[in-house]
Amino acid sequence: MKKQLVMGIAVLAIATGVTFANGQGETTAASTKTKQEITFWNIATENPDKMIMDYTVDKYNKRTDTDYTVKEVPTQNDSYKEKIIIAMSSGQCPDMYTSWSGGPMNEYIESGFAQPLDDLVKNSDLPDKLMPAALAQASYNGHIYAIPVLNVALSGIFYNKEIFAKYNLQVPKTIGELEKDCDVLVAHGIIPFALANKTKWTGSMYFMNLAARKGGLEPFRKAVAGTGTFEDECFIYAGQKIQEWVKKGYFPEGVNSLNEDDGQARQLMYQNKAAMTCNGSWYTGNFQTDSKEFYKKIGWFAFPALEGSSADASIQIGTIGDQFISFNCTGDKLKAAFDCISHYADEDSIKLMVENGKIPPVKDVSQYLTDPVTKSILAAASKASSVQLWYDQYLPPAVAQTHLNTCQELFGLTMTPQEAAAKFEASMKEYLASK
Amino acid sequence: MKHHAESLRRWQDKSANQAAFVFLLPVMLVLIIFIFYPIIDTFKISGYKWNGISASKQSIGFANWIELLTDNHFWVAFLNNIKIMILSILIQIPLGTALATFVEFGGKKTTLFKVVWFIPMLMSSVAIGFLFTYVLATNGGLISSISNLLGGPNIDLLGNPKTVLYTVIAIICWQFTPFYMVYIMAAFTNIPVEIFEASLIDGATRGQYFWRIALPLLKPALSTGAIMSIVGSLKYFDLVYVMTGGGPGTASELMATYMYKLTFKTFEMGYGSTVAGGMFILISVLAVLTFKILRHYQEDV
Repeated sequence: MKKQLVMGIAVLAIATGVTFANGQGETTAASTKTKQEITFWNIATENPDKMIMDYTVDKYNKRTDTDYTVKEVPTQNDSYKEKIIIAMSSGQCPDMYTSWSGGPMNEYIESGFAQPLDDLVKNSDLPDKLMPAALAQASYNGHIYAIPVLNVALSGIFYNKEIFAKYNLQVPKTIGELEKDCDVLVAHGIIPFALANKTKWTGSMYFMNLAARKGGLEPFRKAVAGTGTFEDECFIYAGQKIQEWVKKGYFPEGVNSLNEDDGQARQLMYQNKAAMTCNGSWYTGNFQTDSKEFYKKIGWFAFPALEGSSADASIQIGTIGDQFISFNCTGDKLKAAFDCISHYADEDSIKLMVENGKIPPVKDVSQYLTDPVTKSILAAASKASSVQLWYDQYLPPAVAQTHLNTCQELFGLTMTPQEAAAKFEASMKEYLASK
Repeated sequence: MKHHAESLRRWQDKSANQAAFVFLLPVMLVLIIFIFYPIIDTFKISGYKWNGISASKQSIGFANWIELLTDNHFWVAFLNNIKIMILSILIQIPLGTALATFVEFGGKKTTLFKVVWFIPMLMSSVAIGFLFTYVLATNGGLISSISNLLGGPNIDLLGNPKTVLYTVIAIICWQFTPFYMVYIMAAFTNIPVEIFEASLIDGATRGQYFWRIALPLLKPALSTGAIMSIVGSLKYFDLVYVMTGGGPGTASELMATYMYKLTFKTFEMGYGSTVAGGMFILISVLAVLTFKILRHYQEDV
């Protein structure tokens, strides 16, 4: 009897839910009937990104004077990259979509799925608002093809201040000091770096930073242009250091099987099993959403300098803008879409981003920042003599995959630094030859 | 009179043929659109250098195919597929047969086992992939935790290039053995009860019945099972993609994961199609060969 009652209530609840949902669907359909729809694909499936992306779109859709509504289609990060290729190959490319600029964005542009925005940008207030470095990363062949929105994303080292205090560790200025700190941590049974390298780009962060501290950015630029080589000593050095660190136990055991997307690196931080992690500055947002309490323990420093190297230690690796929105529509629709997106640089929107741990790529962002971690990240960004875009985004996709694979093998000690460098270089050569 | 009957039969034959054609037409259409056309198109695309999204394709003849022949990455993947194939046949079919025999001989008492053993087959590969990534995680995973409890180190089966493929194979076997169990159970029901009873009357033990009578009668089912296992393991994809993504390095790379990455991650649709075409050829050849060998063997016996 009791069972039947419960079932009855459940059925009733479902039934009313369905009718209610139906009713709602009808009303929205009626009110937007005359408006055209702009589809907007992005990767904001989780807060805080979702909330931020929704903010401007909702604001735009509520405005009464527009002929368009924007419809968001969020997809999880890794499947997004595949989904967008399938959409483009079948001619179903959305009107607006996000990317990380660099190699893939250039492929989209060359294939005709992005409109140049020079005039629209020039006639808007965006040039006054956005950081020039951000617009530069949104450009290809001298034209602007995307609007940078979400975040100044630098790679740097987050550390647990409590653990550092407990073992009397100092924030390292050089790689030598960093290693000393790590040795102390290892001696006390704490993993120095939380890293989940099944995802591969996570380990690449260490490689890029080490290479940049050893040789600056010139070797990379030359190697990409074909005048230099990825067998340059700075890339060999990066590989050697990574393997030395793996052998000394600086990374968690089974590092190549831990998955970043499942938060397995962050878990090590939360469990106080690991003291530091080198990752993108979007981690401030992740930490805050996961636990505001834990975030209070977190400090940040830029990747330390290398003793005896002439490379400029102010160089940073990252994206100035992280999430670039490109447009695959023309005429009034393009204007409407651009209008919607340009509101990401509005004061309210900036405040919302800052509250959620982001550093929007706008010039006057420092006045909004109160959080010490994001402040130190911004300081490093503005002090940087240049910002190198992530290798796996900057390089042509095929070469990028080779880099990620060889880098993962470095962490697994299954390939020597020389072998990895040779493979990396061969892949680049092959790409340049096929151009 | 005779003449009349013949023409009637001819007319019947003709109309039966026509009816067969009409009834087969929908299936033919579906096959052509969803099977034959994509296969032909794959081979067509393999002649191009194409990033998969742009409208312009560059025809390069057989260059992709020549590259495939010398592509170490592809052959490593092929070898991994072969390892999965061999171990799958060696583990899944005997184990499946053993389970089926146990259930068959056990009668009603073993119904519970039927259900429990079939459970892995009911789960989607993706779900199994996620399940086992958590079981095998070095940070707080089941196996590492047990090892830690006993005072041992973390056990890293998925991150170690030496163990990753065999770990994956073990999970694949866990997933698919129930399939062969059910398949062999069905084959058992095809053996007439009279044979079983007659053998018991003649004084055969259950062991003798199994080895001398049941197993030879199961042979056709076992060889079909082997073909299914071969084709299945050569085009295996989902679980490996979820659990390892083919890594670390190329340690668990399969032909299908390699093809997928080329097509959707590195913007090489042309070459990815070549790999797909290569897979198609290799799988067809191996399947046909096995089929021939098994049939030849059966006719001999």
